Amino acid sequence: MTPIGLAAVLVGLVWVGYGSVWLLRNRSYRVTQAHHFLADLIGFPVEWAQNVWGRNGVPYAFLFPNLLLFGLFTFLPLLLNFYVSFTSGNSISLFSRPWVGTDNYQQLFDCDTVFEPRSCHASGFNFWTGMFNTFKFVLVAVPVLCIASLVTALVVNLTVRGRGFWRALFFYPVMLSPVVIANIWQWVLHRKGVLNATLGDAHGVVNSFAGIAGIDILASVMVGILLLITAERTWRGGGVKFTTDDSAEAEPSLPWASLFAGLVVLVTWWASPLAALGIGPVDASGAATGQLFGFDIGLCLALALGLLLLWQIADRRSLARPLVAICFALSMIALVLIQFDAVFDLGRFRPVNWLVTPKTGWPFFWLVFVYTWHHMGFYMLILLAGLQAIPRDLYEAAEMDAATPFRTFSRITFPLLMPTFTVVLVLSLIKAFQVFDEVYTLTGGGPGRETFMVVQYIFETAFTTSRNYGMAAAGSVIMAVFIAVFTLGQLWLTRRNSGI
Amino acid sequence: MSATIPSADPSVDQQRKKGGLIAFLTRTRGNPETGSRVGMNDLLAWAYLGFGLLVILGPVIWTVLSSIKPETALETFDTRALPYAHIVEEVPGIGEKLLYEWTNDDGVTREVVKVGPTRKLTDVVATDDVETVLQAPRLDLVPRDEVRVATENYLDPLLQRGGASQFNIGRLLGNSVFVTVVATLITLLTNSMAAFALSKYTFRGRTTFMLLIIATLLIPPTIILVSLFFVVWIFGLSGTLWGVIIPAAATPTGVFLLRQYMLTIPDELLEAARMDAASEWKIYWRIVLPLSLPALAVLAILSVIWRWNDFLWPLIVLISDPSVHTIQIGLTAFSGENDTAYNYVLAMTVVSLIPITLVFGFLQKYITTGIATTGMK
Amino acid sequence: MNTVTRDLANEDDALVLDGVLKSYGDVDVIHGIDLAIQEGEFIVFVGPSGCGKSTLLRMIAGLENLSGGEIRIDGRRVNDVPASERDLAMVFQSYALYPHMSVAKNLSFGLENLRVDKDEIKERVNSASRLLQIEALMSRRPGQLSGGQRQRVAIGRAIVRQPRIFLFDEPLSNLDAELRVQMRGEISALHHRLGNTMIYVTHDQTEAMTMADRIVVLSGGRIEQFGAPLELYNRPANRFVAGFIGSPRMNFLEGRLEAVNTLAVAGIPSVHLARPVATLPARPDVALGIRPEDVLIADELEAGDPVSVGTQVPATANGVEQLGSESYLYCSLPDGQTLTVHHAGQTRVRRGDTVQLVFATAAAHVFDSTGELVVPG
Repeated sequence: MTPIGLAAVLVGLVWVGYGSVWLLRNRSYRVTQAHHFLADLIGFPVEWAQNVWGRNGVPYAFLFPNLLLFGLFTFLPLLLNFYVSFTSGNSISLFSRPWVGTDNYQQLFDCDTVFEPRSCHASGFNFWTGMFNTFKFVLVAVPVLCIASLVTALVVNLTVRGRGFWRALFFYPVMLSPVVIANIWQWVLHRKGVLNATLGDAHGVVNSFAGIAGIDILASVMVGILLLITAERTWRGGGVKFTTDDSAEAEPSLPWASLFAGLVVLVTWWASPLAALGIGPVDASGAATGQLFGFDIGLCLALALGLLLLWQIADRRSLARPLVAICFALSMIALVLIQFDAVFDLGRFRPVNWLVTPKTGWPFFWLVFVYTWHHMGFYMLILLAGLQAIPRDLYEAAEMDAATPFRTFSRITFPLLMPTFTVVLVLSLIKAFQVFDEVYTLTGGGPGRETFMVVQYIFETAFTTSRNYGMAAAGSVIMAVFIAVFTLGQLWLTRRNSGI
Repeated sequence: MSATIPSADPSVDQQRKKGGLIAFLTRTRGNPETGSRVGMNDLLAWAYLGFGLLVILGPVIWTVLSSIKPETALETFDTRALPYAHIVEEVPGIGEKLLYEWTNDDGVTREVVKVGPTRKLTDVVATDDVETVLQAPRLDLVPRDEVRVATENYLDPLLQRGGASQFNIGRLLGNSVFVTVVATLITLLTNSMAAFALSKYTFRGRTTFMLLIIATLLIPPTIILVSLFFVVWIFGLSGTLWGVIIPAAATPTGVFLLRQYMLTIPDELLEAARMDAASEWKIYWRIVLPLSLPALAVLAILSVIWRWNDFLWPLIVLISDPSVHTIQIGLTAFSGENDTAYNYVLAMTVVSLIPITLVFGFLQKYITTGIATTGMK
Repeated sequence: MNTVTRDLANEDDALVLDGVLKSYGDVDVIHGIDLAIQEGEFIVFVGPSGCGKSTLLRMIAGLENLSGGEIRIDGRRVNDVPASERDLAMVFQSYALYPHMSVAKNLSFGLENLRVDKDEIKERVNSASRLLQIEALMSRRPGQLSGGQRQRVAIGRAIVRQPRIFLFDEPLSNLDAELRVQMRGEISALHHRLGNTMIYVTHDQTEAMTMADRIVVLSGGRIEQFGAPLELYNRPANRFVAGFIGSPRMNFLEGRLEAVNTLAVAGIPSVHLARPVATLPARPDVALGIRPEDVLIADELEAGDPVSVGTQVPATANGVEQLGSESYLYCSLPDGQTLTVHHAGQTRVRRGDTVQLVFATAAAHVFDSTGELVVPG
């Protein structure tokens, strides 16, 4: 038993022993009041403090246990971390750790350039790999997480019936342990798992269309009709009408416009007009691919056009109607160019080993996906509370002022939600920086070191074979600096609207 | 609402009904009375919610369904929802064999078992005529399946038999329960004491203590991982369950949550108790704690979830001694060692999923409102 | 200012406040209170909100510390004696009943804390519940009681303690008007029955007038006047007390003192005072204080009415309230000052009429520019 353990036992003995004597001498208990005696015994130090120092001493006695735990297990380690980061060796006894000054830090920064982990010697390689993977993860996962939780909160807030159920549903994954989540998703994402099987089936169904005669014309006509309907609905407007006067022209409808824009983008992508017209960069065989840096230029232009259309309609801009017409005309031209046989002919389906195949980006994608899946409900809940705190009459006033739903969102909901959203941003940023559980259980940092995060570096350096505590502590300090910088930067960016 | 009042003239009613139907079929602008309608907005919202339902519950349900499938079905990655097991039957004179169905060229379907090695043309005999050896193309043999819940997936690890004998789930669950219960009790006691002091007393240094607790909220636990291990080692707690319980017992979140709640308890109540000669500890124990029960319940639930799901810190402190592993560590180790024994891994995943799901199912309202009101984790 | 009270203090007083001070930081809220309360008295602290009356009561109770001065109960200095040992009981404004305990438990909680014998507790609780007629409610929780019932339980909790002094902190402010009148009577009856010293805080001068043996009028942390109800009504020490006590409140007419017995007021150059002042104040600007019932309507004078020597004052009736047994006229004088007139019985005056008013100056008071009463000679 360590001296500290012995001390703990002694304190316990004094507590129970002296406490019992003190209580029994100062008060009387009947046998039936044994539970009162026990309660008083638990609080004996507080009772004693009140007796000695009067009521002024009591709050300190109440605070003491909590502050002791915070002091010993939060603030003390925080200081100790700096000390450990200046020592080396694999001994856990503080006195047998040689002081090496900034050696650990120098090793971590022993790179030709820290922006290229491969150029680092010694431990720097893993550390900076982890650091950059973490940056990448934070930069991708935090926006995805925040937008997903915002959208979910808005949708759940919209539902009238069963809001409690939907709130609970989206929150459920927050309750699950990382190990359970990893096992579930590994099972789903297995090479022969249910996701690949479903994709294979869908693939087969689409493929089976390819051989049918006349499918080309049929598909063209069907898509044409769909485009026509959505364009008409967008133009005529199925949205909320603010006047009872039937002669007043309705505004273009945003939900229909989003469907229409989606179709336009899809058609343009299939038609790949630039490749058909022979414009743009060429591939090895000399044929125009319509691609630049691996991106389909036609698709990008179509996406830009679609977003422009949505924005014009959402904000009731004057270009909304002309844009609908232009998009419709363009998509009709594109429709003629499409070889639907080719669209349906997807070739043979190869199951993807989602979490294992290197250099595909899939492991990282699924990591972000599962992380979002796990944590989204928590941030959604906070945003939902923020949404529900916005007074209803503001929306009623906005309705009286004939604001469109989009304007209501951008001028009322979002500004008033901004303090809550800032809290969500900061919390999710700090949390995303510390990502470990999901990675370790899902991919173990692999394949290779594609998903190796900095916390895993700290964990492996300190607690697996090498037991290099000094290096891990130095890594922690650098990581803390980055978290602080990121958090402060974010707070500075959102300072005007933050509630913090 | 005039529409609900039946008119004296039935023909008017008829007319109104007819008009209603036509209006329903032809309407484009929705119900003129309320101005609301099932529009694209609602459709998109419902589509989103449906997608959410699929993505969130789909994998979980799939895992639960898979966990009751027999080992053979899992090994062949049978993607049917129900647990199908290949029927094994005692065939007289041959022994226990897997049953197949075979439709021969004449269109006659017979129940057969294999009697030779599986080749392109396999030797089979019909169960009703074991003497005649037939030759059937391998691909034409359809396995005879039955729906069977594979309880052995659960019972083997629980009873430490079969292929899961080294997996002591009882001890893992016991350790997890011990850590969860004790840590939650300590958390409730220390946090509520601190919250009581910070909400019901004015004393020198109160603001400082408040700031200290806010500061602990901002310190990411992972950056003090290494030195916290040193502290735990100095106290002789490494390798023991206490090393997991004590460092995490004081939570800033809990102090905040309880303090916010205790601020709503009227001070007059405490003063009345003081006039009633109650000591300060008694006021806390007999008045404030019982009145804070709703907030204590929320904190208790949160603490149970945190401690039950805790992974990294127990991994660091407890990894050296398998006898103190918690369910999360045990499950990871077990999954690592049994890359192929999916039946056990999935079943144990479901076992560790059950307590949390039950807690959530019964208490989700407390949990969601509790977290929404504190907004912290 | 109130040297009177200090002179009255003697050894037999139940409670003595001696230069009691209270300040929060730099802000003084109680500016040196001297007060002596005799055994068995019913004392009411009255004053507008924020005048320090509740703070003073809580200092007596021991719930607030003194910043200066001394409190003595039965000649014993109790500044540092905790609330529970001062032998006091308090009824709180919000009643402060423990919501999680039954009524019986609420009554016995304090006695249990004081380690009173079990049978004794039972006896005291029973007699208190009989006295307050709450026997039927003993097993209920406070949440299941009506406002009046809660009030009784709160009083019962004080009674069972058998304290030396009862303290009431605005106990009737949460009740509706009818119940308030009823409980007022019951508390008075209780005082007669128990004969204990009681200190009662209220902002309602009607409660003060009807219940008190003696009233302490407080304003801005100072005692304005201390005396029996009618003494305060008839001989207010200053303009504040004169305005605070009595409903509807006293009329104050700004004017100038021309001589020891003439006053220029309301455009009338010389109103004759029935009681000439003893000494002319430094500044001739004074206020003539006259209660509504001391202003008479010239047209409706009856034989035997005390008609003052003096001038009739013309006024316009802006509003007339006829209550049947009495009437109120809201008049404006030629110079624009307003005046309330109380008339016993019904009046013929209508809104807009011009009436001749007569001031019964024998009952009028004159206050100098600082608000102090100019003592009649």
